[in-house]
Amino acid sequence: MHDESARGRAARPSRSAKVVLSAATAGAVLLTSAACTGAGGGNSAGEDTTLTIAAAAGLGFDLADQQPGWFEQYLQPVYDSLFRISPDGEVGPNVATEWEYDDSLTALTIDIRTDIEFSDGESLDADAVKANIEHTRTGASTTASQLQNVEDVEVVDADTVVLHLSAPDPSLLPNLGMTAGMLASPAAIEAGGLKTTPVGSGPYTLDTAGTTEGSQYTYVRNPDYWNPDDYPYDRFVIKVLTDNNAILNALRTGQIDAGPLGSAKDSKTASDAGLNVINYPNGDLEALYFYDKTGTTTPALADVRVRQAINYALDRDAIVKAGYGDLATPTMQMFSITRDDGIFDPALDEVYPYDPDKARELLAEAGYPDGFDVVMPDWSGYAPEVNAAINQNLADVGIRVTPDTMPLEQLYGNTLQGGYAMGWQPYEDNRPWDLIQFQLKPDAPWNPFHYEDPQVTELISKIQAASGDEQTALFKELNRYLVETAWSAPINATVFNYATSAEVVATPQAFAKRPPLYNFAPAD
Amino acid sequence: MTWFFARRIGEAVVLVIAVTMLTFALMSATSSTVARSIVGQTASAEVVAQKASELGLDKPFAERYFVWLGGAIRGDFGASWFTNESVGSLLFAKVPVTISLVLATVLVSAVVSVVVGVTAAIRRGGWVDRILQVVALAGFAFPSFVVALLLVLVFAVQLGWFPAIGFVPLTESPQLWLSSIVLPVTALAIQVVAATSQQVRGSMLDVLESDYIRTLRSRGTSPSSLYLRHALRSAAPPALTVLGLQSIALIGGTVIIEKVFGMLGLGTAIVGASSQGDLPIVMGVVSVMVLIIIAINLLLDLAYAWLNPKVRVA
Repeated sequence: MHDESARGRAARPSRSAKVVLSAATAGAVLLTSAACTGAGGGNSAGEDTTLTIAAAAGLGFDLADQQPGWFEQYLQPVYDSLFRISPDGEVGPNVATEWEYDDSLTALTIDIRTDIEFSDGESLDADAVKANIEHTRTGASTTASQLQNVEDVEVVDADTVVLHLSAPDPSLLPNLGMTAGMLASPAAIEAGGLKTTPVGSGPYTLDTAGTTEGSQYTYVRNPDYWNPDDYPYDRFVIKVLTDNNAILNALRTGQIDAGPLGSAKDSKTASDAGLNVINYPNGDLEALYFYDKTGTTTPALADVRVRQAINYALDRDAIVKAGYGDLATPTMQMFSITRDDGIFDPALDEVYPYDPDKARELLAEAGYPDGFDVVMPDWSGYAPEVNAAINQNLADVGIRVTPDTMPLEQLYGNTLQGGYAMGWQPYEDNRPWDLIQFQLKPDAPWNPFHYEDPQVTELISKIQAASGDEQTALFKELNRYLVETAWSAPINATVFNYATSAEVVATPQAFAKRPPLYNFAPAD
Repeated sequence: MTWFFARRIGEAVVLVIAVTMLTFALMSATSSTVARSIVGQTASAEVVAQKASELGLDKPFAERYFVWLGGAIRGDFGASWFTNESVGSLLFAKVPVTISLVLATVLVSAVVSVVVGVTAAIRRGGWVDRILQVVALAGFAFPSFVVALLLVLVFAVQLGWFPAIGFVPLTESPQLWLSSIVLPVTALAIQVVAATSQQVRGSMLDVLESDYIRTLRSRGTSPSSLYLRHALRSAAPPALTVLGLQSIALIGGTVIIEKVFGMLGLGTAIVGASSQGDLPIVMGVVSVMVLIIIAINLLLDLAYAWLNPKVRVA
């Protein structure tokens, strides 16, 4: 028997159903309004212009803590540097207007502009330059070590300083065009707050309201800057992004104007999406390095014939093709593979053509007809195709590689502590003199077995004391010697991939991993 | 109730100390290369040693841990060894990201799981039940990061309906906040719904077979009241357990989604800091994560007590 009242109740929605329906409607409205906010960035006509880029997290703003080459984009908005580096890597004026070495190359006199103030009102004068160099030099950082040869900074007058060096330093001038030569307010240095609060004389100042540490950094135009024409944007924003896909997607949706790309494949995707893509070798080198030329752990590597055999065993064209397609250039030499400075010699790239038979012949001559075993760091997580191709080439001539797998940071540490006799790696900062400092000298960090070749040592000493064409000729002689004695097995110049929106152009700079801020401009 | 909370606080303190001490020990065991990582591959051995000394790596473990603990109790978690940013500031920026993702995912998942699970249970054996079960299984099969990549390609890059990257705090703009979390929450919720809806369905089926439900049905209780007010309330606790476990897993499990969407939450912070060896950040994030997990467990207990008054929280 039916209950009339129940039939009546059943005809109306229950309270529970009403709640559900209301919630569903509210959800749909919320979702639609969220979707309508859409995506994209860019500037509207009449608004301040903003350049938004993606970058990995920086190292704070204290100049004593920096690693040169990677994080300048955080610092260039707020700090001037003594010199300006051109896209070709040439040193030009900036805060410094004139400079000159003495005959011994151990006293560098620098004249600076007299019309610059820091954002806290302090004058940028010779005392400020002295304070900065002395502060930066004290840090525990690569930037600090670039000033290791500066013994003393003499203030001659308000706009002249002399840097007295313990020894000639061919890299000092270009280093002073990057983080080592950046200038913060001496008062801010004294106050000790630079790590989080930069105070410089740069084209922008840090906008704390638009900045979330570790996530986004916003810089607004410094109205008193002395060279505004070089910086066409009113605002500069850095979004901290580490995922290559996220960066590419943000470029495609217009949320950022520029950012690094992860691979050659990403370059193609970016090009197909209408973005401007630049693929540039910045001087870094990828090579199979022979750390144990002393033969301490792997006697075979002490024999030059074995090292030459390995050079013959590597099919550089195939390795580069596998890893980078057409974007990288194979090479057999360590110096200046990307610059026309007279050191690089095209003839040296013909010394070790791919020839596994020749490699086996040399190994047999050296007493290794069956090859030998070696443990190498496993870089397959970073460069899988390159790693696999190299291991295969070595296996083809009887060199049996056991890969040692560990996180990237520990790979570097293990290598520097002499954990491996040889290994592939991308090597940073290939300025000729820096390469000597970091790889070739017996006490160089990347010479963990402290191998010394008297001929190399003699050439290094002559290079340090020379300048101009004489120095170039000596570098060229050293370059040849390193190839002929198979100091290592260079494979290719590292290629960096960078993309900008169609409205922005960026010009890379030699020896910089990322285009500097002053090399960005509107496409029109 | 007072004794209940007092006991919980005591347990929380012990748990935090145990977890942080273990974490500190593990990180310290692998910190031999962190100084080199900070100063770069081209720094000399002297520079590396100087940095290691600055970081206190040459001091005994116990001294370093108790110095850290003393600072943490005062609210000072130190600064990142790599970026020099204050860990406190970092946590202040990143906790809202993770909490937004986790809470929104849990809420959306709870609602969808209830709808899906209850519907499947009511229509047991029918085509609706079968379709919903297949869909739930598909949710298990697709990793959330694959779903995330597809969502961002379609709805952000192609259609432009939602942003591809970034998180907008709720306090800055509720609308933009919502827009920024729709896609990542959708990607995260799929697997949570897959697990929870199945639990809801199974529990509902058990409860619907019980005598008191048959009694209510025979008394003419409306279906909606029967299912939603009576049966679901009894079926909820097991599903709540599953949801609770999923939400705990989400605390650190959002890392891949955070990377895909360029949202820098606790997940990316701890993964990045762990691989680099950035001890202050790892310790700060772990401390916060432990506290969040303790809070989730407390909320679960209170929820059980509300659902079933017979459960005593003391």
